[in-house]
Parts: sequence; C-alpha cells; structure tokens
Amino acid sequence: MALQTTVERVAARVPVTVMALDGELDASNFERLIEDVRGLYAAGDRTLLLDLSGLTFMASSGLVALHAIVLVMHGQRPPDLEGGWSAFHALTDAVEGSERQTEVQLCGAQAPVTRVLERTGLDRLFVSHPDRASAIAAI
Amino acid sequence: MTDPGAALDPERVERILASFAPARDRLQVAVIDTTGRPIGGSSASGPGDDPAREPKLVRDITCAGGIVGHVVASGPAIDDPAVVSALDAVAAGLGELAEADYRSLASELAQARLAQRSFVSLRAPAVPGYDLASHYEAAREIGGDFFELFTVQHPRRPVGVVIADVTGKGIGAGMLMAFARPVIHAALENSPGPAEALERTNRILVDEIRSGLFITAIAGVLDPATGRLRMANAGHEPPLIVPGDGGPIGAVEGGGVLLGAFRTLDAPELDVELRPGDTLVLYTDGVTDAVATSGERFGEPRLLTTIAAARGGSAHDIVAAVRDAVTVFRGSASPADDITIVAIGRRRP
Repeated sequence: MALQTTVERVAARVPVTVMALDGELDASNFERLIEDVRGLYAAGDRTLLLDLSGLTFMASSGLVALHAIVLVMHGQRPPDLEGGWSAFHALTDAVEGSERQTEVQLCGAQAPVTRVLERTGLDRLFVSHPDRASAIAAI
Repeated sequence: MTDPGAALDPERVERILASFAPARDRLQVAVIDTTGRPIGGSSASGPGDDPAREPKLVRDITCAGGIVGHVVASGPAIDDPAVVSALDAVAAGLGELAEADYRSLASELAQARLAQRSFVSLRAPAVPGYDLASHYEAAREIGGDFFELFTVQHPRRPVGVVIADVTGKGIGAGMLMAFARPVIHAALENSPGPAEALERTNRILVDEIRSGLFITAIAGVLDPATGRLRMANAGHEPPLIVPGDGGPIGAVEGGGVLLGAFRTLDAPELDVELRPGDTLVLYTDGVTDAVATSGERFGEPRLLTTIAAARGGSAHDIVAAVRDAVTVFRGSASPADDITIVAIGRRRP
C-alpha cells in the first residue's frame, strides 16, 4: 500500500508538471506527498497535473493532501497556518463563482478515487480530464 | 507537579486557542488564571477588544476539583448557542489536559487521547422500543471520530444521532473534534431539521473557526413513536438500512459537501422510516479502510457481507459482528485510524 510518485515535465501551451501517483494515498503518506509538491513549487513548477490513473485507493487524509497541494501551488502555506484558511476560502469562493483554479488539475481518476472526491464535494475544486493526453491537450 | 494551577500550561493554551484562530471581529477568546492574569488568547488591540478585561462570557476551567482559570470571550458570535457550547468544550478540554498533567501522565499524546476519549460519547439514552449500540476504537495516533446519541429537548423526545470524522490526524484533529461535537449537538437542538443543523455547523466552521481541516458528518433525528428518521449527510459514508423483512441492505444515498470547506453544503434532507425489525448502521472510514497485514483493505463489500451475516440479531449483535470482523481482518496490524460503528434497531412489537 505504498505510494509511488513519478514526475515528468511536459511542454504544452504552458510548461506542465505531470505527477503520476501509483498505489494508495492514505494517512501514512499524505504528508510526504505535500512535501514533494512543495519541492516542485520551490523549483519553479507552476502548473501541476496529477495523473491518478494508478491510484487505487484514497483515504480521507488524501483530501487534506489535495487541498494542501492546491494551496502550495498557489504560493500559500498549507493549512493549519493562519494564511492557509483564508486563502482556501478565497479559492472556494472562486469555485462557487464558477472560476475554478487551474494550477492543479487531475486526470485518469479511477472509480474508488472519484467516489471519494464526489462524495465530499472536493471534485468542485478541480478541472478533471479522462486521461493524460487529453489533459495536456486541454491545458 | 503539586500545584493544580500550574497545570494550565501557557504554551498549550496558546496552541489550542490558535488552532481555532477565531475570526477576531466576531469572537475574541482568552484564558486567564484565577487572579485575572492573561495566560493566552486574544490580546488587546483596542480597549473594547480585550475579552480578559470586559468578558461577555466566562467559563471555569477545573482541575483536581478546583477552579484553576477561566475561558473568557466577547464579540457578537457569543450570542450563538452553538458557539457557547463550543467554548464550554474548550474549557472542559483545557481542564482535562491540566488534570492529566497534574496526574503526571507521561506524554502529551497520552493526555490528549485521554481528553479525546472523554469527548467521544460512550453513553446512549434508553429509548423504549429501540436498541442503540455503538463501538469506538481510538487509533494509535489521535484521530478525529466522534458520535453521539442523545435525547433532543422537544416534547416528542426525538433521538439525536451524530457521527462524524475529522480528516487528518494529531492533536489538531482531536481538538477540532472536541470543538465541533457540541456545535453540531447544539445546532441539532436549535434547528428545524438535520440539514439546517449541518448547514449552521458549516457556517460556524467556515466563518468563526479557521482550522485547515474538514469534517464529514451525518446528523439525524429519529421520532421513536413513528420510526421516522430525518438525516442529512455532509460528505460522510452513506448510512445503511438493514430491513427487518430480509430485503437487501441499502445505502441511503444523497448528501452535500464535507463541513468546513465551502460556504454552503446543499445537503438534502434524507427522510426514511425505520419499521419494526429495521436497523440503521452508521460507520466511519476507519472500518472500510482498515488494512490487513497483507495490505488488503477491509472495504465496503466485506462490511455488507458481515452485516448480512449478523442480521436478525439486535443492533448490539450487528455492531459486535463488524467490530470482530475488523479486528480479525486486521490481525496484528494496529489501527491506523479511529473506528466507529453505530447501530439503531427498531424492535419488533
């Protein structure tokens, strides 16, 4: 139930960093994933496509990770710090005004992951694509 | 430690108040000792802003049988009974932690777990004609499950049902749970229905409490006389109904987003009838996400099979069957997440 991440940089209309998640995202590894994305942001990556086609399971801590990743890619500190929450509310307000953030997008999500995202409503935060090729073409 | 008063650790007080970081224009909270000296919380940014100087609400913090300090608050948000209940919980929590310190428990983790245990409901009211059963098991790290079964203050004496799970882990999750539980309880007491109660809870979490964590929750109200059960679901695993007539076990689908993330939930009211012999089963993802040493997850199909094998018994039988199945499945692996199972069965006449 380990989680493996593979990063690849692709030249689309803008430079896209594709991070493939393989395995299971849960309480044992979600913090490491946030750290990895923080490293990418620090290295200058600004558009992140999470390829979830190999992700077979996502626990609720995965939701915390996805939320934190959106904050990180918007140059914010992740949650539990003062700035994070208001920044997130600004993002969700934008979502409710139907202007979705595009810095972090998803592709290839399988049924078990889609179900968690839809049940909790966090799917509203993300533009989702069926697979990597169509995502890169759309970005 | 010989002085209970010294157990009110300033660093901890700051950390706990900071983890709620209330919106300062709506709610100012501080902790003072028995002489009125501030220990932590809102500092004065203007004469009217300092709750320690002009408190509108005072709650005692007790430790080892004595008062060791007070939680003081001011601001417009304290007119909300749900906020008041939550502040009660903060005072109680600080007292619990001080008490644990005073009794020299080894680690902070052990203390927080002790406090959390006391927040998780372990007593269910007696409801004629119904069986109420539950099982709660804490993870090795502090998780954020909580549930509650209580009699709502209303002439028809309905039963309030809440099950919830704070996403994330650690002391932050535990304290948010301690805060959210009385908020949901009070909202359920003071709202026309469970959907409004969760909407109201969400508003408090979004507007007043700036934590970075989310909560999934189901709130429900059962009228014991008719078996009518009104529920609302904020991003939680759907409730299961086990029909007494042998029909298929069904999930009650439909819900809104999880609590604390978006300004509105849009959770529809789920209206079901518990007929004699029917059982409602609620659970948290600690059940379905439980991992065996092989790496396999317990999963929903296994949960349904387990419940099906135990149906026909009481609510206690169903809860015990799920608890045992998860324990056996997990084997020597220690629980990575809190596990909560609640069942309400309507007896046959």
